[in-house]
Amino acid sequence: MKKFATIALLALAVACRKEMPASATDTSATATETTASTATTTSATTTSTAPAAPVIVLSSNIPGDVQEGTIPPGSDRNQKFLIAQGDFDIYSWNTFIALNWPPGPDGNGDPKKTIGQNGDNDTVWEHYKDVADVFLPNGATPSWKGSAPPPPPECKADYSPGMRILTQVGKTPNVLTEFSQPFNTGPLIDQNGVYTRYEILVNKPMFDYILSNSLYSKAGQKVFSGAVKFPCGVLGGAEGAIMVKSSWMVINPADKDRFHTNQVLVYTPASQNPKYPASCSKQTVGLVGFHIGHKTNLGPQWLWSTFEHVDNVPTEADVSSGKLKAKYNYYNPKCTAANCPPNAVPPRPWDPTKVASFHSQVVRMNMFKGGNEFAFTSATERNTDAHKLLVGVNPKSVWQNYELISTMWPTDPGNGQCQASASTPLGNPAPTFLANTTLETYIQGMVPNTSSNCIECHMNATMTTPVPSDFTYVLQRAK
Amino acid sequence: MTTTPATGGPSDSTIQDFADMSAALTGFQSSFLRPFLDPTNLSETFYNFVVSQAGQPAMDDLLNAFRAIKTQPAQKIADTLLEVTTTPPSNQALLCQSIIAMWYLGSWYPPANLLGTSLQQVISSQAYTKSLVWNVAQAHPMGFSAFTFGYWSNPPASLDAFGVNTGGGK
Repeated sequence: MKKFATIALLALAVACRKEMPASATDTSATATETTASTATTTSATTTSTAPAAPVIVLSSNIPGDVQEGTIPPGSDRNQKFLIAQGDFDIYSWNTFIALNWPPGPDGNGDPKKTIGQNGDNDTVWEHYKDVADVFLPNGATPSWKGSAPPPPPECKADYSPGMRILTQVGKTPNVLTEFSQPFNTGPLIDQNGVYTRYEILVNKPMFDYILSNSLYSKAGQKVFSGAVKFPCGVLGGAEGAIMVKSSWMVINPADKDRFHTNQVLVYTPASQNPKYPASCSKQTVGLVGFHIGHKTNLGPQWLWSTFEHVDNVPTEADVSSGKLKAKYNYYNPKCTAANCPPNAVPPRPWDPTKVASFHSQVVRMNMFKGGNEFAFTSATERNTDAHKLLVGVNPKSVWQNYELISTMWPTDPGNGQCQASASTPLGNPAPTFLANTTLETYIQGMVPNTSSNCIECHMNATMTTPVPSDFTYVLQRAK
Repeated sequence: MTTTPATGGPSDSTIQDFADMSAALTGFQSSFLRPFLDPTNLSETFYNFVVSQAGQPAMDDLLNAFRAIKTQPAQKIADTLLEVTTTPPSNQALLCQSIIAMWYLGSWYPPANLLGTSLQQVISSQAYTKSLVWNVAQAHPMGFSAFTFGYWSNPPASLDAFGVNTGGGK
């Protein structure tokens, strides 16, 4: 009975976590306005009954979880979601800022430095572990500090220790197909005919869980018993398991000022169909897409934040109104829809070793319709707030050129203590659909089980054994 | 009695009344049909759909009938609105039956021909995937599963967790 009462109280606490006592209506309204419009200061007016409204801050601290503000009684559905989505979008920007903070010698954010103070900077997440270095040949044991595997022979001439090698042409190459995004839909080819490259990295808590449970090898997964349960982040405490997926475009070095860039080795393994040999080249690449998946107490389905470079693509509204930029990374404003059908999959054969005559003509579809309009409004407001902060550090900060598309979060996360509901394990995500045009280019839309929904898709993930892998596909890479 | 905001859409209180009435009719928890944060917003979708089919006056009359007895137990509300002791049922009672079918099956069965051969209409993809019949079965619709691979090897969650009002009709 006591256990039941505890569970009931917990459930009540979660269910009511956003409701404000009626007696505090006026104060909470003030706090809410502060959340929506202020990025640089904390809440102006709070009382002992109203938790401080979350704000975007310049900090090297990775949020352990979302900080939820309050929703005044009597709010209609749109008002509720604008506030709630705002909390998660603030969480996303705070996470983006902390992950892209200049690291100290230990790889963590260096509080003595500031993001973008020199325009561009090395980042915390780029010191995470690339999954290629976690799931090693023959199921060898990885180590966090261990040296990376030797580069492929084709890369040795240009390789120097510590240099990154971008291999993937698709987001899930070993899961579905080598040169494709999810659902085998195809690669993304920029306006210069060059294939976009991807990488996936995991943070130390996620790596440690994989290591301590021997999930880095097929043999280890085979003898693993129980459920895969990555650690959850805690508000004001430790971060949980974090996955970062990034997409990179080969850029002209003259364009470096607009991107977070890196000099990397772009490696393409040999293929038989279509037939081409392995190749490797040294390139300057710019960050164009950035996914963050973070498992937290209030997001046992993980919280999914996605960012893009502001020059990637126009929206449907931009195209229909003719309000287009002179240049995009993945859209040619001078090409008509008849000659360059939007969001068309590149024709086969897909050969990333060659400069393609096909250029992806990508348009951001409006997926925030049918009651999801709050997602667009919230992201737009938070982007304005965050960009002000970043420009305040340095008017030439490259980070001002990245925008949050949205954050997908569970409206029914479960018990609020890292445990999803057994009857609603998906947690009723909001917004209903979400896509990054560089990572889910061809599955934009609003069709259940087909169009991009981070939580629904990742819910289907398993290990190399038929055991659910807790919303991550990376465990399928085990050898 | 119906409150309509200046923007022309149904008011929040109207949708809440519709959800509360639907809860009594279906035997589900109102907080399940219309959660505090409701991303699918089916209650408003269904309200608008019923209005488009049955007309605003019929919906207003039905909600006013519900409001007059809304403090009574759910079973009593359902018995009254469905006119279980009256034969043949009135148009309003038939509308209630259509509303029940809509929540359970995600489709619209016209009140005038509930059991007839007229073609039913699937209201939306979410109306199908979220229809209550799957919750009663503690299962999921064909082509859309909210559960992880291998879920069938474990006992399902309780009916209460699936939103069913198991409180003896209260």
